[in-house]
Amino acid sequence: MGVTCVCQWPVPENKSEQQVVDMITKRAELLGATKIGAFCVDCETYQSSLAIAPQKTIHVMHNTEQPLTCYTILENPGSSSNCLVADTMFDQIMHKLKGFYMPRKAAKIESKGQHYELDDFVIKIGTVSVGPNTKGILFEVEYTPCVVIMDCWSLLSEFMQSFMGTHTPTLPLYLAGKQDANYTPTDTVMQYLDHFNTFMGRKTPLPPPQR
Amino acid sequence: MVLDPVSQEQPPSKPAVLLLAKRKSLSGAANILIAGAGRLFRSQTQHSLLTSKRQDFHSELLRLHQNWRLKKVGKAIIGDLSFKSAGSRFWHNGAFEVTKTADSEQQPGDGYKSPLEITVPSDLEGRSYIHVCIKSDSENAPQNGSFSGVGNKLPDDLHWQQKLEIAQNVLFCKELFAQLAREAVQLKAPIPHLVIGNQIISQVFPGIQLCVTLCHENTIDKKHTDTGNGVPQTSAVLEHSLHQLLRALHQNNLNPSTPHPVTAPIGVSKKRRLAGAQATGKKELAEFNQSECLLEKILKQVRHMVLQNRVCKLIDNLTCSMPDPCILAHWSVSNQNLQSSVKLQIMSNSYEQIGRTPLQLVIGVDQVKGVCKDGRVVTLSYEEHEIKNFLLTQIAQHQVNGIQAIAKVMGWQVLQSSSHLGVGPMEKIGHAAGIMLISPSGDRILAVRNGPDSHTKVSVQFPRNQQSITESKSDVIIDGKWDNLWGYFKEVNVDKMKGRNLLNKIELLMAALTH
Repeated sequence: MGVTCVCQWPVPENKSEQQVVDMITKRAELLGATKIGAFCVDCETYQSSLAIAPQKTIHVMHNTEQPLTCYTILENPGSSSNCLVADTMFDQIMHKLKGFYMPRKAAKIESKGQHYELDDFVIKIGTVSVGPNTKGILFEVEYTPCVVIMDCWSLLSEFMQSFMGTHTPTLPLYLAGKQDANYTPTDTVMQYLDHFNTFMGRKTPLPPPQR
Repeated sequence: MVLDPVSQEQPPSKPAVLLLAKRKSLSGAANILIAGAGRLFRSQTQHSLLTSKRQDFHSELLRLHQNWRLKKVGKAIIGDLSFKSAGSRFWHNGAFEVTKTADSEQQPGDGYKSPLEITVPSDLEGRSYIHVCIKSDSENAPQNGSFSGVGNKLPDDLHWQQKLEIAQNVLFCKELFAQLAREAVQLKAPIPHLVIGNQIISQVFPGIQLCVTLCHENTIDKKHTDTGNGVPQTSAVLEHSLHQLLRALHQNNLNPSTPHPVTAPIGVSKKRRLAGAQATGKKELAEFNQSECLLEKILKQVRHMVLQNRVCKLIDNLTCSMPDPCILAHWSVSNQNLQSSVKLQIMSNSYEQIGRTPLQLVIGVDQVKGVCKDGRVVTLSYEEHEIKNFLLTQIAQHQVNGIQAIAKVMGWQVLQSSSHLGVGPMEKIGHAAGIMLISPSGDRILAVRNGPDSHTKVSVQFPRNQQSITESKSDVIIDGKWDNLWGYFKEVNVDKMKGRNLLNKIELLMAALTH
């Protein structure tokens, strides 16, 4: 897994998400990217029952890139969040813990879309939706050969500039704290979670986890 | 009146009469006993004749049941000689029938006739084996189906154990061939594998093919006897490998890896178990699922065998054709089925201490890796000329290194030396090596060039004032100091020189030039 940057694509007022996705897809194909398939990153949130104090939130996420894996992030207010990487059977454990952790009503958020590959880069354009409502567009770029963020951030941002022009994002807060360490698939999922939280308007911006 | 017993006179004793009487009574009793014994004996023999067959049948059946799986279906006894209980998933049920031999009068000349009769299925009759051979395109392809000729029809009085084992072997060979044929059809190779009748032909290297044939000899095939002249020998090693591979397949079917924890589903390999927790991507998962099939495994083994033979023959040919540097090959005793190694020592006779070039060749499936004296690793393909190229270059280098070592001993200094000369005529194969030495007194220069094609060229350079006087002195050059410059190189006829080998000749030359 190479270094990945997940960023939000701003949707102009007069256009629909679908139109923007089509536009990005056209740009990618013009650049010479080949379509590989579809992808989906989803997140389910569970809230601890009132019996457990203080209140804790658990996010269970899946990424089609790692089909046998389930990521679980425990949000502890006031301290850093933990991420557990487990087999997909973990979902069944959450099922068993229904008494203690109830799924939130506004259930599943997911980012679904197409997956393109251009030589060493992997581009994923995902439409974020909560049930039938579309919330926005998440754009993911991965540079496969490199695993150290510091080494390839400039290359990644230059590549994104060719796509996004003026909207090129700066180094995400999450990655800023991990410049030297090796990039893992967990980091991608944490970035997605950050964006999902922003879309849902949650008040707790997660501080980057300390390593 | 008194009654007195009167002793009467004893009658005269007649012993003969007594004896006669006793004898008569004894003989009467004996006759009765003999008659009775005779009757008993007769009845016993008759009884044993009657019941012997039945008793033997049951004891034979018991012995059969101890070795083979039998079950009673209605009135018949059916046995199972398939490999299903060993993990095979072949469609053939391998059922044989056990019957009592018909009662017939035993002639005195007959051999032992078993009370049991085994009937094997008609398609498992006869003998069978898998014929595996490697052939190159230059040899003639043997005709299809012309492999029988060894062995006649199975003798009738074969013991039931041997009959069943032979039939089981036929079934095993059938399964093996069916598995290979299925894989040959499904695999996508650059040159597709051919399946014709009972033969599978696969390309191993360009020009070399592997031919696997199912040879089934029964009474029908007796017509196609072949003298065996055109048929190459089957490779017993490969046949054994094929058998082992199929057995390994059976065992894997039966014994999946134990689940961790014990309540987890069976059959999940350790890699798959850890894949989730290690966040394995899609590409890596696809690689996990790919496993090599039987045909691929045996092809790898064949490739390695062919490559090993090639290298062996090449080294042998080189050793025979080049007496000068002596090449010793030490093949590693413990080789694996896909890798073997050979350590070569290139040395000159009587100069072993001074200059020896060690070399190691590791022979894999498709490649040969050469490890040189200085630690460089060269990867060569399966092409013969590449390996020859490498070896000849090493030999040329050895000669020059040997000369360098002698120079050290003799006190000559090395002006320059090169392992891969870029000057002079290009060699058709390999690289030439060269060296230039100067004598201790500084008035002779020796230049040696050694190449696989151009062999050895030795030249000596003298200073101008020591050259032949026949060269005319120029009028322009008056000053005597110009005579101390180097003159031309003169070539030495190495073939006419005395000396055991090149190093010896150079040593003698150096000794002659030093003064």
